[in-house]
This record gives sequence, structure tokens and C-alpha cells, in this order.
Amino acid sequence: MDTQLLISGVIFGLSIGSIFFLLAIGLSLCFGLMRIISLDQLLYYSVGAYLTYTIHVATGNTWLGVLGGMVAAGLVSFGVERFVFLRIYERDITFTMITSFGILFAGIGAIKYIWGLIPRPVPVPIDAQLQILGTGVPLYRLVVIVISFLVYFGIWLFLNRTITGKAIRAGIEDVEHVEGLGINVYKLFTITFIIAGILSGLAGGLHSSLIMVDPQMGLEVLAFVFMVVIIGGLGSIKGTLASAFIVGQVVSLGSLVYAPLAQMAPFATMLLILLIKPTGLYGSKLLKR
Amino acid sequence: MKVLKWWWGILLAFLLLGAARIFLPLPFANEIIIFSIYTMGCNFLLGRVGFISFGQPAYLAVGAYATAFYLYYFGTNPYIGILLGIGVGLVVSAIVGAFFVRLRSDYFALVNLALAVIIFYLMEKVLAKITHGDNGLWFLANMSSTPVLNLGKPGDFFIFIFLVAMALWAFYKYLDDSLFGACCLGTKINEDKLRFLGYSNYSIRWMAFIIANTTTALAGSLYAVYFGFVSPAITHPARAADPVVVTILGGVGTLYGPIVGSIAYTGMKDLLSGFIANWELFIGLLLVFIMLAGEKGIWGTLDPYLKKAFYRKGTVPK
Repeated sequence: MDTQLLISGVIFGLSIGSIFFLLAIGLSLCFGLMRIISLDQLLYYSVGAYLTYTIHVATGNTWLGVLGGMVAAGLVSFGVERFVFLRIYERDITFTMITSFGILFAGIGAIKYIWGLIPRPVPVPIDAQLQILGTGVPLYRLVVIVISFLVYFGIWLFLNRTITGKAIRAGIEDVEHVEGLGINVYKLFTITFIIAGILSGLAGGLHSSLIMVDPQMGLEVLAFVFMVVIIGGLGSIKGTLASAFIVGQVVSLGSLVYAPLAQMAPFATMLLILLIKPTGLYGSKLLKR
Repeated sequence: MKVLKWWWGILLAFLLLGAARIFLPLPFANEIIIFSIYTMGCNFLLGRVGFISFGQPAYLAVGAYATAFYLYYFGTNPYIGILLGIGVGLVVSAIVGAFFVRLRSDYFALVNLALAVIIFYLMEKVLAKITHGDNGLWFLANMSSTPVLNLGKPGDFFIFIFLVAMALWAFYKYLDDSLFGACCLGTKINEDKLRFLGYSNYSIRWMAFIIANTTTALAGSLYAVYFGFVSPAITHPARAADPVVVTILGGVGTLYGPIVGSIAYTGMKDLLSGFIANWELFIGLLLVFIMLAGEKGIWGTLDPYLKKAFYRKGTVPK
């Protein structure tokens, strides 16, 4: 394999991994704190992508679109949290999984209703190419990678330096004790859910210029995102980052080695990891509840 | 009389289903019955053992492709094809189940999904030489006509799957009544207690997994014979949640839920998509509504009323 192909492959893998990370972090936080599996994050991802498209058509600025997508995703997630999840936090995981799947399905129907069935293109906001070791690399992909790292550090700062973040971290360990300290955990739940929704919207907005925006896009990445969360260990942020990049590289480099493997290899990797370590890379025993 | 008491529910349900054959177009009736068989496996896993599986298409594809390979490359008799589909489904689910049933419910759902995706790409890309990739295998002309019920003809095929489904429902009713069915419910509700009673949770789950997914494989091979065509689309990840949706729609863990659910789901899909393009919106909202309203589903809601209507006061069975 020549170096040029390898470098662009690695960059491609990293950018895909960044998108997966942004999507998976929300799921992981939701599971860690509220013990829900919120498949509807994929809906906020689609909402983010579609809003990016619409705002781009209206104003011609993709970045503004990404911003609008984040806001819209946050608003939709807030609504869903108020109307549905507030009632079902107490239920078991399977229950939340099915309900959130219903929301995702209904959302896809709504998207089809509003934007139609045709896939929509969103142009890349930055056309420039960067030369790395003689290989032309699209600058936009690097920007996506940088944004995902910024988000990681932002989340890290939020969880470690602010009172709310510390309460969320404590809640991941033991919700009842946090409640016992007089903290309103439902407020924490809402905050976490909206953060997750906004990050999913960001992922959708950033991903929209790399792929075509179509109503089924949420279902297409669903399997990959879940794989990232599972490999990393549900509820672990560091694990999610690591596994997102592992999955991204497996997808990208796997396709360089043998094209049909691109979609299959990550699933085989996940099966292998789960059979060896059923809780994922960084998942702890504590999360078993 | 006692025999009739046990059978009457099934007989009535299938009498109604047989009567529906007169009103409904044949492809629709066939679709409903095969879909009910498909859902039955998922329903058993979710309602009786407490495992939610987002990967049922994997086992559907196993059955379908086993039948398709036989009919395309080797033989002509569709009955042998179906038996082969069941056999391969049994073997695959026994092997896979031995690893999968150790996992927790949420991981289990995703590992199954992973298996469905792996099989999808295996059939679409890796084994494209044998499976002809997205073009699929066409073998409708290869099937020989069989003496009593000619499976090549949709009318005869309906009678065949009707009988198969009836036998299957009797089997599941028997399972519900048996000790094994009680043990399955036990692993769902309180596995520690079941272990305390001296049963192995692992082997009960394994058995249940094999039974459920062999049923799914049977549905797959029925699909294959019915359409005379199999393509990787049968296990497409985007359709992975269909059986789960239908299970919830019909009523989790109820015997007739899958039939009611498939009628409702296929009906809505066909009717609503005629009027409005986005039937997903309705299905999705309905799913959320059913879950919030106590996750009973259509049949689960109707059941108590029907029982009240059909039994005298004080003799209503649980």
C-alpha cells in the first residue's frame, strides 16, 4: 500500500470517527446517567443535517446551517424529553430502547413529510486542500477532527470543572446518593439530554457535507454508533473517544485492504471484543444494574 | 371436550384468518401469515425470555438462503428446501446462541443487529459469486410441482402455510403451558430465584433462543419459496426493527399478538402508503403511544374484554 493512499485513508477514518464520537457521546452520557438507551439521538442527527441543508439553501452559509441545526436539534430533544422521557426514566432499558425507536421512526416519517424523499446535497464549506507529506488532504475533514477534539475537551472541562458537571459525574456513579444530597436529578437529566441532542445535531450538520442528506440517514449510521458505544463501554467518555477512532479506522483502512470488508469488519471487531470483554473496553462492572 | 377447550382459541383464530382469505387478496393473506410466523420468534424472545433482538433478519436470511441455495443449485423439491432451511436455522442459532445468550439484554439486541449487518454484507459483497449480490437468486422456475399441495401455486401455498402456522401456534401454546414455558418466564422475571430452584438460566435461555430463531428461519424459507427469489435486501439493517415493532403493536408475550400485529402492520403499510407517503410517522407515534399507555399492544388490550365476553362470571382464566 502506498503512503498517499494510507495517509488519506487515515484522515478519512479519523473524520468518520469524529462524527461517530459526536453521536455516540450523547448516547453514552444518557446511558451513564439516566440508564436509558436513546435511539432518538439519530433523529436529532438527521434534524441537524436537514436544518444545515435548509439554512444553506436560504443563506448560502453552511456554518450558519450547522449552528442552526444544533439549535434545532437541542429544541427537538428538549421537547421529546419533556413529553416522553420524563415519564419513562424509571422504566427498564429495553422499554426505553423500544420507545425511543418509536420516536426515531416517527421522526423519519415527519422528515419525509417535510423535506421529501429525495436525497439532498450540501456543499463542503471549505474547499481548500492541505498538503501532508505530499498528499492532498481536504481541510474540511481536518476541521471536523479538530472540532470533535474541542468537544471532547469541552465535555471534559464541563464534567470536571463545573458543579453541574460534577453532579452529573456523581450521578453516573450513583443517582440515589446525588438525590440524597438535595440535587434535583431530573434537572440534570434534562441538561444531559439536551447536551446529547445538541451534539447529535452538530454531528449531523458536520456530516451533511460529507454525505448526501436523506431521510434514512439516521438508520444508516445507527448500527455504527451503537457499535462505538458498545465497544467503548456504555457510560464511559474516554472509551467512546477511543472506540470511535478505532471504528473509524477499521471502516476506512478495512476498505483499503479489501473493499467488501469496509462495512463488515467493524461488526466482526465488535463481536470479538464483546466475546472477550462483555462490558466493552472501558465499561466498568459498576454499570451493571 | 377437554381437548376442544385447549384448541378452541387456536381454531377460532385460524378460522377467522381462513375467512379473511375470502375478503383479502391472496398475496396480502400470504404476507400476513408469513409475517406472523416471522414475528412469533421475536415475540417469544421478548415476551417470554425478556430478550429484545434487533437482529431477527439475520436468522430470516439464514433460512431463506439455505432454501435458496438448495433450490438454485441442487434440487427442485420445495419441501426439502424448507426442511433444509429449518435445519440450517437450527444449527446456526444453536451455535450463535451459545455465545449470545450470556450477554445482557441491551448488549444482546446490538450483537444481534451486528450479526444481521454481517450477514447482509456477507451475502451482498463477500459471497457475491454464489449469491449474485444485489440481483439475488431467482429459482421460481426451478421448483418442481409437488403432488398434494403444489407450492408453486399461491393458492396451494396459502393452504400449506396456513397449516404450518396452525401447527406452530399449537406448539407455542403447548410451550406456554409446559414447565419449560414457566421457566422461560422465570428467567425473565427473577433469574436468581430460578437458579435457586435448581434450573440453569443459561440452558433455558439457549433453548428458547434456538426455538425462537428456528421459527424465524422457517419464516425465511417460506418467504424464499413464496417469492421464488432471495436477495440480501431481506436482511437489510434498516428493516431490522420490523419484527420488534410488530411484536409491540400486537402485544408482547401474547399468543395471538403476532397475528393481530402483522395484520395491523401490513394493513397500515399497504393502506396508509396509498394515501400518504409517510406511514412511518403513524407507526412510530403508535409505537410510542402503546409503550406509554402500558405496553399492552392491540391484542393485549382486547384480550381481557374478549375473555369477559366469552366466559361466565367467575370462570375467567388468567
